[in-house]
Amino acid sequence: MPIIVYRFLVLGITALAVLAPIALVVYQSFLTAPFFDRAARLSLSAYSFVFAEEDFWQALWTTAAIAGGMAAIAVPLGALLAFLMVRTDVPGRQYLEPLILIPIFVSAVVIAFGYVVAVGPVGIFSTLAKDVLGFVPWNLYSLFSLIAIAGLTHVPHVYLYSAAALRGLGTDLEEAARVSGANPLQVALNVSLPMIGPAILFAGVLVFFLGFELFGLPLVLGDPQDVLVLSTYLFKLTNKLGVPSYQLMAVAVVVIIAITAPLVFMQRLLLRQAQRYVSVRGKGLKTQALRLGPWRWVAFGTIVFWLFITVVVPLTGITLRSFVVSWGQGVNLLDVLTFDHYRELLDYPNVVRGIVNTLGIGVIGGAVSVACYTAIALAVHRWNSGWTRLVDYLVMVPRAMPGLVAGLALLWVFLFVAFLSPLRSTMVSIWLAYSIVWLAYGMRLVSGTLLQVGPELEEAARVSGAGDLRVKRDVTVPLIKYGMLASWLLVFLIFVREYSTGIYLLGPGTEVIGSLLVSLWGTGAIDLVSALSVVNVMMIGVGLAVAVRLGVRLHG
Amino acid sequence: MADLKVKDLRLRLGDNEILKGVSLDVTPGQVVALLGPSGSGKTTLLRAIAGLEMPHAGSIAIGDNVFYDAGRGIELPAEKRGLGLVFQSYALWPHRNVFDNVAYGLKLRGTSTLEIKGRVDKTLAQIGLGALAERFPHQLSGGQQQRVAIARALVYEPPVILLDEPLSNLDAKLREEARAWLRTLIVTLGLSAIHVTHDQVEAMAIADQVVLLDAGTVAQVGPPTELYNKPATLFAAEFMGSNNRLDGTLVEVNGASATMQVFGERITGQAHTKAAPGAKTVGIIRLERVRCATAPGPNRLKMQLKAPMYLGERWELVFAREQLTVRAYAAAPLEPGEHYVEFPADALWVF
Repeated sequence: MPIIVYRFLVLGITALAVLAPIALVVYQSFLTAPFFDRAARLSLSAYSFVFAEEDFWQALWTTAAIAGGMAAIAVPLGALLAFLMVRTDVPGRQYLEPLILIPIFVSAVVIAFGYVVAVGPVGIFSTLAKDVLGFVPWNLYSLFSLIAIAGLTHVPHVYLYSAAALRGLGTDLEEAARVSGANPLQVALNVSLPMIGPAILFAGVLVFFLGFELFGLPLVLGDPQDVLVLSTYLFKLTNKLGVPSYQLMAVAVVVIIAITAPLVFMQRLLLRQAQRYVSVRGKGLKTQALRLGPWRWVAFGTIVFWLFITVVVPLTGITLRSFVVSWGQGVNLLDVLTFDHYRELLDYPNVVRGIVNTLGIGVIGGAVSVACYTAIALAVHRWNSGWTRLVDYLVMVPRAMPGLVAGLALLWVFLFVAFLSPLRSTMVSIWLAYSIVWLAYGMRLVSGTLLQVGPELEEAARVSGAGDLRVKRDVTVPLIKYGMLASWLLVFLIFVREYSTGIYLLGPGTEVIGSLLVSLWGTGAIDLVSALSVVNVMMIGVGLAVAVRLGVRLHG
Repeated sequence: MADLKVKDLRLRLGDNEILKGVSLDVTPGQVVALLGPSGSGKTTLLRAIAGLEMPHAGSIAIGDNVFYDAGRGIELPAEKRGLGLVFQSYALWPHRNVFDNVAYGLKLRGTSTLEIKGRVDKTLAQIGLGALAERFPHQLSGGQQQRVAIARALVYEPPVILLDEPLSNLDAKLREEARAWLRTLIVTLGLSAIHVTHDQVEAMAIADQVVLLDAGTVAQVGPPTELYNKPATLFAAEFMGSNNRLDGTLVEVNGASATMQVFGERITGQAHTKAAPGAKTVGIIRLERVRCATAPGPNRLKMQLKAPMYLGERWELVFAREQLTVRAYAAAPLEPGEHYVEFPADALWVF
C-alpha cells in the first residue's frame, strides 16, 4: 500500500469519528423532536425553549462563577507549589510528587462521594467535630464549598505545567536575584513565577476550561441544594418533558461546545507561546535547590495540609465508610466494622460486569486505543503537507466535548446509523466514546514519543532501501515501543477513572464502574457506592504504583 | 560502472536557494570531497544525491539509472537509489545490535539468511569489528560506532558511498587515525565515494578530487594539489590553507605576473586579476611561504616583529606595520624589532 493511501485512509476515519457525532448534535439541535421521530421538522424552537428557561441561565452563570473561582484558587496555589517542589529544599520532595498528582487520577465522583461521607452533614469528620466542638464548623453543601473543593482538586493541573516550565528554566536568573539580596519568597514572586508567566496563564485557562467540564463534583455536592451547572443541567434535561427531549439536550450541548471550543483554541495558542518562551531560555542545567532554612518545614506543612484536605479527607472517608455498617454520634466504629459491602458487590451481576468491563476497557481497550493513536500519529509523522494541520485541528475537536456530551453524541450516532445499532449495547460503544474523548490526550502522549526519534534513523533505513511504510514498521515503531507502553499505562489510568463518558451509554453489558457509581448514587445505595469507589481507587492505585515503579512520567 | 553525474542541480528550502546550479562528476573508484564553509550547501547536495532532499531543477544519474531529472519529471525515492550513506551522527538503530544494523540493507534486498551471515561477517571483519557483532550501539565507542555506520553503508555494495562529515564526531587525535584508516579502506576496496567535510586538511588527505562549494555554487574543482597551489578565485585562495592578506593598489599586469603597491613598495606576484592599473587589489600568500630577511630587497617589506609564538614543531611570528599584519613560520625565534618580510613572487597571488 502506498503511504499516501494509508495517510488519507487514517485521516478520513479520524475525521469521520470526530466530526460525525458533533454534526449529528448540531443537526438535532435544529429539530423539533428527536431525529428518529418522523414528525421532526427543522426549526429554532429548541433554542427558544432553552434560552427562555431560567434554570439554563442560572446554570450558565453558576458554571462561569465556579470556573472563575476554581482558577482563582488553583492558579496561585499550583504555581507556588511548583516553585516549592522544583526549586527549594522542601523535605521529601520525591515522595510528595506522586501524591500531589493523585487528584488528577482519582475520579471526581469518588472524591465527591468521599467529601459527602467525610464532611457532609452526618460525615465522619463532621460527627467528630460535633463531639468535640458541639457544632459542625463547615457546610459542605454550599456554592462556596463546591468552588473551594473544585479549586483545591485542580491545583495539580496548574502544578504540572508550572513545574515543567520551571524545570526548563535555567537557575542563573534566580541566582542573580539571590546574590542581589532577594529572599526565597521574593525570588519566587519577582523572578521565577513571572518568568513562567505564559505557562501559568495557560494553566489558568485550562482550569477555567475544566470548570465548564465539571460534572461529578456539582452532581454530588450541588444537587442537595439545587445548584445546577451546564453539565448537570444537561443531565437533568434527559427526562424534562417526560419524553426524550433530544432537541433540548442538543441545544445544551451546542452551548457547552460553543463555550469550550474557543477555550480549547486559546489553550493551543497559549501553549505554543509558553513553549517558545521556555525553549529560548532552557539550558538543562543541574539546578541547585534554594535553601529555605526553617521555612522548609512551614512549606512542608502547607503541602501536607493541602494533601490532607484534597486527598486524605475524601479517600479515608470513602474507605472507612465502605468498611462500616453506619456511623453517627456515640457509635464506636470498631463495633460496626464489616466486609459485607464488598461481599454485596458480588450479589449484583451488573456490578460484577462493571468491574470486569472496567478492567477490560482499561487493559484491552487502552491497548487498542494507543494502537489507534499511534496509527494516526504515524500517518502524520514526517508528512510534509498542509494536511497535517487539519489533523491537528481534528484531534483538538473532541477536547471541546466534555465526556458526558461525547457519550451522548456517540449514543445518538449509534441510534442514527442503522448498521452500528447492534454495537450500542456492547463495550465497543464505550471504547469508541472513550477513545474519542481522550484522542487529544493520547495523541499528545504518542506524538511526544515520536518527536524523540531522530530523523536520521529513519533516513538511514530509507537509504538502505526500505520504503516509507517499511521504515515505520522496522525503525519508527520499534523505537517508540517503550513510549507506547508508557502511554498504554496512562491511558489505562484515565479509562479506569472515567465516569461521565459512559453515563448515557450505560445499559446491560456496557456497565463500567464510573457510570455505575453515578447511577447507584442516584438510588441512594451508599454502601455499594463506597465499596465500589474503593475498588476503583485500588485499580488506579495499582496502575499508579506500576507507573511510578517503571519510571513513567505521569504527565504527557 | 558508469559515472555519477550531477548536472546543474538547484534546490530551495523555503525562500532560501541552497543550491544554485551545482554540477559534479564522480568516476568509478574515485573519492570526491565536497568542501566548503558551513552554509555552502555541501550536506544538502549530498542529501539530494541520496534522495533525502528534493531539488527543483537539474538532474542526478549514474549512467542510464536516472535518480532525478527535473526535465523528464523523474524522481526516484531514496530507497530505490541503492546508495550507501554514512550519517554525521552515525544514526545506528539503537534497537538493533551491530550485526542486525549491518544486515538490514541485505534483508531488504531479499538476500538469504545464509548469505547475509557471510557478507555481514566479511564486512565486519574488513572494518575490524568482527568480534563485536552482538553488541548494541550504546555499548560501542564513538570510533566503533562510526565503523559500524560505514559497514552498514558498504555491505550491499552500493555504486557510490556517501559520507556526511563522518569524522567530525571523533576527537582530534582519533580523527587523524580514522582519516588514514578510511582512506586505506576506500582505496583497498576500490570504492567510489563522496565525502562531505568542512575540514580542508581532511578533504585533501582523503580525496582524489576536491569540489569546493561557495554559497550554493561550485567555486573550484580539482585534485587537492591543484586546489591548494593554484586557487582559481580569491575565495578558493583564502579558504584553503592559512593565509596572509595584503591590501594594495594594482600597478601593472604583465602577462602572468602582476605588480601591486603596498606602503610604496612594489610587490610582484602571480596575476589573477583583469583589473586596470590603479584599482584596489588583494595579495594572498600562504603562511609557510613567507620568508624573513635581514636586508631590503625585491618583494620585501620592512615590518615590526610583534609576538613570537612557540607552536611545538616551529615558531609563529607576527609582524605588523600600521593596519597590516603578516604571520610567518620560522624554525627559530627572531629578536623583536624591525625585520624585512619577503613575499616570493611565485607564492603570492594577486587578485
